Amino acid sequence: MIYVFETMGTVVSLEPPLKVPEVEAIFAAYDERFSLYRPTSELSQVRDGKPLHDSSQQLRDAYALALDWREKTGGAFTPHRPDGIIDLSGIVKALAMDAAGRVLRDKSNWLLNAGGDVLASGPGASVGIADPSDRLGLLTSVMLVNERRAVATSGIAERGDHIWGRGTFAQVTVVADDIITADVLATAIMAGGWDTLNLATDGWDVDVLAIDRAGNLAATPGMRTLVAA
Amino acid sequence: MKTRVVVGSAIASLAVLVTGWVVGTTSNIPVATSATKLADGKYTGDTEQTRYGAVQVEITVSGGAITDVAALQLTNADSRSQEISNTAAPILRDEVLKAQTASVATVSGATYTTEGYLTSLQSALDKAKA
Repeated sequence: MIYVFETMGTVVSLEPPLKVPEVEAIFAAYDERFSLYRPTSELSQVRDGKPLHDSSQQLRDAYALALDWREKTGGAFTPHRPDGIIDLSGIVKALAMDAAGRVLRDKSNWLLNAGGDVLASGPGASVGIADPSDRLGLLTSVMLVNERRAVATSGIAERGDHIWGRGTFAQVTVVADDIITADVLATAIMAGGWDTLNLATDGWDVDVLAIDRAGNLAATPGMRTLVAA
Repeated sequence: MKTRVVVGSAIASLAVLVTGWVVGTTSNIPVATSATKLADGKYTGDTEQTRYGAVQVEITVSGGAITDVAALQLTNADSRSQEISNTAAPILRDEVLKAQTASVATVSGATYTTEGYLTSLQSALDKAKA
């Protein structure tokens, strides 16, 4: 059994359906506060001139976290659009997934997929990696082992609005212990290319599979193990 | 890459050590200048604990100059160091196992829109499990 619902302009699948009202409410709350597609969201109000110091703790916390990631990734990840508007869409979905994961902490054997990013209750799940050149095909699959619970993939997407910069890669998949690290680093590597890839693999305990625009693959040693499992 | 850094840092420590000897026996001329004459022979540095593990080097001095540097202990020599280098390297498509949709529990892909989802693999998987 699986429960599928729309939120944040994408689709979330939860298998099996556990604590559905709570999980759905978490995504709805993040979307309510952070969506720039909703004219009345708090972040839209900030865009329209509401001072940050008058904004909620949740908004300032999310912005501070995003700024922290900007520093850690040498600017490859950024919470600002080129026009200077604060856009937290690069981190909000992961924040919601992380919060949902904490609500589901006492349950086992679940899988949460939000718009192509995956969070699992624990090891054992086989996660397919989409083929960027064939949207109905799989490039490969990874087996989540040990503490690995999160898989995030960033690419030249149907929705390219949170990745800017000139592209080296066509698609980047990051496997990590938590979804925020996986999602932010996947986005950052897409934006920053090889320099950011090396920064990420040097500074974080993550496994990465990247495909450049010519179709060449690169993988960390840990990823080689995961794709062979 | 990291090995080189570690050896470099160990050599730096050794240089300090050698400087100490030189200062003690001759004058306070920096060891790096060619004016300093080191006695020929082999000098073993202390074992340095680096974040990558224990590193120890030995230098050979001949004619007053360092002619060789050898690693007596190097983190690369043990299995722990194998985990340390996490650098991504090219991998052939044949080296990654092809996966069938039926064999995976879910699909990770670039963020899809609600519309894109309808024609995605994940959508097909979800329908099969509904």
